Amino acid sequence: MDIKEIREILKLLERYGVQDFTLQRGDDRIRVRKGGFVEGPAQVRFREVPVAETPAPAVPTAVAGPGPAAPAMAADQLPVGENQFLVTSPIVGTFYRAPSPESPPYVEVGSTVSKGTVLCIVEAMKIMNEIECEVTGKISTILVENAQPVEYSQPLFIVDLA
Amino acid sequence: MNILKLFSKILVANRGEIALRIIRACRELGIKTVAIFSEADRDALHTRFADEGICIGPANPLQSYLNIPAIISAAEVSDCEAIHPGYGFLAENPEFAEVCEASGIVFIGPRSEHIKLMGNKIQARNLAVRAGVPIPPGGVEGVSDPELALQGAKQLGFPVIIKAAAGGGGRGIRVVHSEASFRTSFSMAQSEASSSFNNPEVYVEKFIESPRHVEIQILADNDGKVIYLGERDCSIQRRYQKLLEEAPSPAVSVELRERMGEAAANLTREAGYVNAGTVEFLLDKEGSFYFMEMNTRIQVEHPVTEMVTGVDLVKEQIRISAGHPLGFKQDDIRIQGHAIECRINAEDPDNHRPSPGTISFYYAPGGPGIRVDSAAFESYYITPHYDSMIAKLVAHGRDREEALARMQRALEEFVIEGVKTTIPLHQRILSTMKFRKGEYGTDFLEELKK
Repeated sequence: MDIKEIREILKLLERYGVQDFTLQRGDDRIRVRKGGFVEGPAQVRFREVPVAETPAPAVPTAVAGPGPAAPAMAADQLPVGENQFLVTSPIVGTFYRAPSPESPPYVEVGSTVSKGTVLCIVEAMKIMNEIECEVTGKISTILVENAQPVEYSQPLFIVDLA
Repeated sequence: MNILKLFSKILVANRGEIALRIIRACRELGIKTVAIFSEADRDALHTRFADEGICIGPANPLQSYLNIPAIISAAEVSDCEAIHPGYGFLAENPEFAEVCEASGIVFIGPRSEHIKLMGNKIQARNLAVRAGVPIPPGGVEGVSDPELALQGAKQLGFPVIIKAAAGGGGRGIRVVHSEASFRTSFSMAQSEASSSFNNPEVYVEKFIESPRHVEIQILADNDGKVIYLGERDCSIQRRYQKLLEEAPSPAVSVELRERMGEAAANLTREAGYVNAGTVEFLLDKEGSFYFMEMNTRIQVEHPVTEMVTGVDLVKEQIRISAGHPLGFKQDDIRIQGHAIECRINAEDPDNHRPSPGTISFYYAPGGPGIRVDSAAFESYYITPHYDSMIAKLVAHGRDREEALARMQRALEEFVIEGVKTTIPLHQRILSTMKFRKGEYGTDFLEELKK
């Protein structure tokens, strides 16, 4: 397979609007995927600016107009019990529950996890960063939807400690 | 001209007053903004005033405001088309501009190659020579051998100044008054250059005694049109940190302004530089000027130029980056009245040490001719993680006298409690005869202390 051929394939895929395509010929294997794992044109809007986190703001809180916000919860607002552990995102990026659209999620509610278990992927600058569990226990809550953007220190999972 | 589109969303890669300044420009242009913030800045004004906000790391700037992958990732997940770096942090980091270029995100500023070129003082000096712009007498090459350097210094005649090729912010600089102390100063400058900039290259030039620091604001578009917007006098500084700036300079005549402006424009053209930039000159008592360096970012003191020209420099930066041509000619630029800026820092006026803490009461001045660029408010905590600037107080008047009177009035009105500030120092500067007459050089503050 040479560059010319790949370019032809890309053109064809573009023309027919193919989202995910794999071609295997002998030892050559090419996979083309459009728009990451997102299905359809997902209108991603990041969290709205935090509202009233200071007790007495001497300034107006945000002049921004309302939008379809999905406010991220701050770690201290979550009901995390004594026997629970909060997994937060170490980086800014896009959260994925599975390694590819057709694979099963890494973990579900109720999954048993231990130190080193991969919980999810956070994609940043086209690099897939596997987020590993630091504790042993059971997934109690998954706080983020697949393909949603996450910020630094945003809570992702609550784990019931074993 | 309006057929050309501007950006629909910009990420502001900075904090504090300059982040607000950029958000304000975007709002006026109808552009959505995304703020990035560290965990220490969750309640900061830039976080609240932007349309969206993304936490990108902990308080330590190395892991947040200087974290290139985190910032690029934030721009990608929030669908930003462009990034404005402000000043400081990554504003003059060619690698950051390069990553933006490679990621298909517009860096609002010059191209990475020009940031790199101007970041090396020796290369910039050579560029000035090619453009026919005067430079202080001295080497156009770096020297590593102290004996060779000393020979050069003797030829120039003492005093000389040793500077780091990669220098900035006053580090890696040594003034040497005699042969006796040359070798020690030389090796100190080398090791400081090495530790501060990871590059031990230094060069030696003639030290201009009690010069004025006068800089020319430039705007250059993609069609090669270069315009100068007059000068700013930034001579009031200590340890090479500017404290008070004014435009126009009391030492620059209409004729000199034109010559300095043309020199700055020629240098910009020679480099093929695009966007806003500042060409810094030393001006000696005889009215001769020498190229020092070119800053490839928006400057802290840009408001004084905005006040006397009526040009919104941040908006122009955005328009140029979106591919728009400049909408005015050199002849359209008129210097109207006079403007002064005082940097109000949280610091002890006696020993100049930063004074972090919580602002317990805050009242900003207003009234005719006053502009306050600040991200402070009552209960705002000035963290030791970032710089200590609380506000930029700018006064504009019909003439220098009115601007001065307005500044003095505004300094009296300004109330900041809970931390020590530079307000008393500014009041002292403004009350001296030397300043009132406009007869001061870069040694003014040292003289004042005596």
